[in-house]
Amino acid sequence: MLDIFTQSPHFYDYVTAAVLLLGVFNVAEVLFLLWNKARVESSELKRQGLKRLASTALITATDPAALLPRPAKEEEFAAYSEAIASVLDSFEGEIAVKAAQLISDLGIDDHYRRLARHRVWYKRGNAIDILSSFKLKSNREFFLAVFRSETSLDVRYRIIYGLSRLAREHADIRALARMLSGLPYLTAKYTEDIFYNIITALKATGSEAEFGIFMREIMNDKTVLNLVKRDCITACYAAACEKGRGLLKEYYAAFPDEPEILIAAVKALARMGDFSVTPAAIRHPDWRVRLAALKYAHLCCMDMLPEIRALLRDPSYHVRLNAALALAKGGEKGLAALRQEAAGPDAFAASTAAYALSQEAA
Amino acid sequence: MKLFLLWAAVHASQYVLFLYFLAINSVYTALILLALRDIVRHAYLTTSRVARRQLASEFYFKPVSVIVPAHNEAAVIIQSVQALLNLHYPEFEVIVVNDGSTDDTLERLRREFGLLPSVKPVRLQVPHEAIRGVYRSEAYRHLIVVDKVNGGKADAINAGVNVSSYPLFCSIDADSLLEPDALLKSSKLFLEDDELIATGGIIRILNGCKVQDGAVTEIGLPRGFLEAMQVLEYTRAFLSGRTGWNALKSLLIISGAFGVFRKDMVVAVNGYRKTVGEDMDLVMRLHRHCRDRAIPYKILFVPDPVCWTQAPFKLGMLLKQRNRWHRGMIDALLTNRAMILNRKYGATSLIGVSYFVFVELLGPLIELLGYLSVPVLYFTGLLSGRFFVMLLLLAVFWGISINIGAVFLDIYNFRRYKKTSDILRLCVLSAAEFFGYRQLMLLERLRATVTFRKKDWGIQDRQILEDKGTAT
Repeated sequence: MLDIFTQSPHFYDYVTAAVLLLGVFNVAEVLFLLWNKARVESSELKRQGLKRLASTALITATDPAALLPRPAKEEEFAAYSEAIASVLDSFEGEIAVKAAQLISDLGIDDHYRRLARHRVWYKRGNAIDILSSFKLKSNREFFLAVFRSETSLDVRYRIIYGLSRLAREHADIRALARMLSGLPYLTAKYTEDIFYNIITALKATGSEAEFGIFMREIMNDKTVLNLVKRDCITACYAAACEKGRGLLKEYYAAFPDEPEILIAAVKALARMGDFSVTPAAIRHPDWRVRLAALKYAHLCCMDMLPEIRALLRDPSYHVRLNAALALAKGGEKGLAALRQEAAGPDAFAASTAAYALSQEAA
Repeated sequence: MKLFLLWAAVHASQYVLFLYFLAINSVYTALILLALRDIVRHAYLTTSRVARRQLASEFYFKPVSVIVPAHNEAAVIIQSVQALLNLHYPEFEVIVVNDGSTDDTLERLRREFGLLPSVKPVRLQVPHEAIRGVYRSEAYRHLIVVDKVNGGKADAINAGVNVSSYPLFCSIDADSLLEPDALLKSSKLFLEDDELIATGGIIRILNGCKVQDGAVTEIGLPRGFLEAMQVLEYTRAFLSGRTGWNALKSLLIISGAFGVFRKDMVVAVNGYRKTVGEDMDLVMRLHRHCRDRAIPYKILFVPDPVCWTQAPFKLGMLLKQRNRWHRGMIDALLTNRAMILNRKYGATSLIGVSYFVFVELLGPLIELLGYLSVPVLYFTGLLSGRFFVMLLLLAVFWGISINIGAVFLDIYNFRRYKKTSDILRLCVLSAAEFFGYRQLMLLERLRATVTFRKKDWGIQDRQILEDKGTAT
């Protein structure tokens, strides 16, 4: 059988060797599994213990570095960095200063800076993530240097994320915007997160106005993607930039044909309690803008009742539904209009009105 | 002349079988290596503090509609829905679609959750059988129950899609339990990648685990041989198979038991098609739709969101399930035959679809030919005893190492089964599979190949999802 193979004088030697190798490999795999299980379990215990120790030392001791053993293994660095990042997120003042000091005292930042130049991209990415969770100003120059030499897009996005948490002044925001525009657009959420971090960092230093200056600068800048402008507005929404109200209205006026920007502006303004653009948005030709505005119509625009009522016959299902809900929340006049529609001849409008009435009753 | 042809055929078949054996095992080995790389990378990136912070953030999500098709699921439906209502997710709705049940599924739901008729207009985007009524829970405003005429699982999910309000939907089986953070972990991917249109998490076997208040509280390997063997099979299929296909951009299945989809894309392909393999069929049509229109897209499997599902605990049930899966696969391949060896569909066709055609579809026939040829060749003197024994040892040892490799992927990265005895049992099962179990499954797949035109689902027995899972 299989003469071509079996005629070789060493055929059976090779097959026997393969079988033996596979057998040994299988046994080795099982032994490794058991050894690895024991190793991981003990390392997990050690890690938890170190984390607890570090957290307690940071909160109770005056010199935590003197109490804590210097980390040598990867799991020890991981435990310390977890504990420190968690303390930095939860505390301010003296404890936060001690935590930041501990990072350099124990050589944790040096360790992760070395790892940030590892040959495997995801290890570099992980190191950058950990460094950014420390929010250390001293990492700014390091991030910028690594960004210049980094080849992986995934890691570059992470560096920008890290830098966004360190923004302090106008030049930082411009630098970040330049870095972002040099990379392919990733996702709305990512860009929004970057700007959210920037706003939060600026707010913490009392320089929120810097972001307004930046947004004004990019408003007519054709080199900045409209998607990025939209994400800036969405970040304003998430971070509640009260001071940006006027600027958001300017954005609404400047981009009449950009539904994404209009929707973001309508939502951000509404969150600040400003409904000045909502009536115009309800009349907008794009159904997505109408839909966004209708969510707030009951708060501001019940004098537009006939127009909202007309939207019960809108071509968009979502607009019809939200127009009905707006009427239902809009007081007695709205409810009366809905009752009339529910008994009316237009089946679409009638079913939508009936639904809104049932919701209001519930 | 006839004798010569027979002789030639026998000789040729030896080479075909031998090369096929080498190829198939090499493919599985390569998949494990690819999966190992992918899983380690994934573990690194998802355990970082930033990733976990995002997961906990109130802004880091997209609203999701969870669709649960239910046909005669009275035994498990209440616990399943309760578990879903307890999911950690900022904004979601649960849509249970009662697909013409003949038991008291609807009655139980009505009693337990205080259902009231809802008059919300349903937007007909994908086809399905008539809806008899839509109800909303008085106590849980995000629970909706749709009562419709029986049309099968695909039809029920389509109805759920039409009733749903959110841009993403997750389809889940009524007898399955999602881990509380499973939805967050899978839907977060849609925020991180605009091109993602569908994703699925890992399905794990619930049998043998302890369940309390709709959540898995203790994980253990089931005692029964059949159930434990399925743990091994699922581990291999998901962790080495699907993760490997991910790396090759050729994922063709997102399990019907747990998948998250972008609704607009599913609507664009006209929803699910009525077939027993609706999950694979949908994913293949999504591939085709995007490739035909040059839409940039991704379909990914992620190994950490977990869905626990009940595995058949009787042989008859198991065979029925495997028969259905195999028929579903054949049907999906036939319906989407344009994707077979078609360069237009890139790696998805040349690697993914080719694998399903040459390994999953033709594999059982070739394996059967292998089993039948052994005695024929032996008695005609063409097969020496020594050669046979060596080949058998090679096949079994290689197969065992592939199985243990899959167990390794699981234990090394996810450590779900923590007891040493469970790990050792999985290793023993890795060897036991080749002595009876594999052949039994092979016969059922052959039967399914012959009867692939049958459309029935068969009836599955369910067990109550509480306490230690053995059949009740």
